[in-house]
Amino acid sequence: MAKQTFNNIKLGLFILAGLLLLIIGLYLIGRDSNLFGRNYTLHVQFAHVQGLTPGNNVRYAGIQVGTVKKIKILNDTLIDVSMLIEKRMQQFIRINDQVIISTDGLMGNKMLQITAAKDGSAFAKEGDVLRSKTMLNIDEMLVVLNKSNQNIAVISEELKAAVIRLNNSEALWNLLNNKLLPQQLLASTANIRAATAKANLLANDLHTIIADVKASKGSMGQLLRDTAIAYHLTTAIDKIKTVGDEADSLANELNALTHSVQNDVNNGKGTIHALLKDSSLVKKLNNSLQNIEKGTEGFNQNMEALKSNFLFRGYFKRLEKKKK
Amino acid sequence: MFANLKQLLTETGRLGRFASHFFPQTFQARFELAEFIRQCYIIGYKSFPLVGLTGFIMGLVLTMQLRPALLDYGVATELPEMVGIAIVREIGPVITALIFAGKIGSSIGAELGSMRVTEQIDAMEVSGTNPYKFLVVTRVLAATVMLPLLVITGDAISLYGSYVGVNIRGTTSFQLFFKMVFDGLAFSDVMPAVIKSFFFGFAVGMIGCYKGFNADKGTEGVGRAANSAVVISSVAVFILDLLAVQITDLFGLN
Repeated sequence: MAKQTFNNIKLGLFILAGLLLLIIGLYLIGRDSNLFGRNYTLHVQFAHVQGLTPGNNVRYAGIQVGTVKKIKILNDTLIDVSMLIEKRMQQFIRINDQVIISTDGLMGNKMLQITAAKDGSAFAKEGDVLRSKTMLNIDEMLVVLNKSNQNIAVISEELKAAVIRLNNSEALWNLLNNKLLPQQLLASTANIRAATAKANLLANDLHTIIADVKASKGSMGQLLRDTAIAYHLTTAIDKIKTVGDEADSLANELNALTHSVQNDVNNGKGTIHALLKDSSLVKKLNNSLQNIEKGTEGFNQNMEALKSNFLFRGYFKRLEKKKK
Repeated sequence: MFANLKQLLTETGRLGRFASHFFPQTFQARFELAEFIRQCYIIGYKSFPLVGLTGFIMGLVLTMQLRPALLDYGVATELPEMVGIAIVREIGPVITALIFAGKIGSSIGAELGSMRVTEQIDAMEVSGTNPYKFLVVTRVLAATVMLPLLVITGDAISLYGSYVGVNIRGTTSFQLFFKMVFDGLAFSDVMPAVIKSFFFGFAVGMIGCYKGFNADKGTEGVGRAANSAVVISSVAVFILDLLAVQITDLFGLN
């Protein structure tokens, strides 16, 4: 009989263990679909639910807070989704929070994600409709991705061509293989450094000069900054201008004069005209010159005759002695 | 062929007639409670180690076998969910029921068969005890009640085996493993499995009793009764499983 009781205890243990496992299993399953515990219902409306089904998870900031209870078509552009949310979320979910449909992982189940609006709006009550936001679905993303892929293909093709051209360019490779080039470059940079240093000095000098000029020091400064000099210069320039004007009128008068002289010369008036233009005068002058030549020839003979004359012979002999 | 068909139909008819006594007898006064509890102990508790062992190995093996296929699709992390559904919905109940049929079906068949052969059953009738009530009802009832419990505990051990299997190659915490298993499960997965295991238990117990109760005279009759009890109850388990899946499908629970 004792054995019988012991067996009964073992049997009881077995039965209780089995029942307990069943109850625990059912409770765990039920808890996941929010069959136990206190819940409240919220709504959200979409144009397209992307394959959402009742039983899908609802998450708030990534935390599991409920499940999709029912999906109802309101009209051809609006679908109402009821969500069963845990009661403890009543103090967190606000009426302006946004709901999006997303995917659990890349290929997983669809789910709803509630994102906090953080605007301090009123807390959502039983039956309230939250705001929905449509996200890109994978198909649309793939369309864009396809476009970018094509662009990348084109770009890579161009890059390939560019690289091939660079590879085939002998000049470039010579440049790259040239061992002297770095040294020369180094030297050039040193030169450039020196040049910039000098330029710096120059700039400093210029700076001082400009500063002087600004401070009206030196002739340049006075020239540029002294208003009296500027006034004098203006008057001088005025005077130069008047002198120029007078010279101009003088030249005009001279011009008129030469014109009248030229007219007179051309029209046979005055001495110059007679000298330049009268041909009869030339003949008369010619005759006169011939007469003068004959006169001087006669005079020469007279002079020779005088020398041999005894009266004047003594004079000429003394003249010759003096010369010696 | 025709003779075989005739025999099948006759056997089925007699089995049905034999089973039809069960319900009136069960609810008739004078319940053999002590005998029922004793049978529960023998049928349920004594089968538990065997069911536990097979369940553990089944879970472990199933996990290790499924892993490469899931790895190919890059969803090896979904292993707990998948194994959980497979075990709870189908493998747990059916494997447990088959083991149960092998162990309990044969033992009931042999026990009642030997009682029939040694004319103990006839002696009971003479002494005024209802042999059907004392022998059949208690055993069938015990089998019907115990198998679901064995299935549930077997499922639990099987899932633990699966957890071990997952951790051979990867690392998943106990908590995460069971979280994933129960995430994948719904009432529509558990309830049909539990309900159909009642029917499995009833079928195994009833066929074992029928075969033993109607054993042929002679020692080979006992062996034949035990053997056919196992074979027919195993087939019955599969037929019931087919029916169950069609019914659950009808209700949209698949």
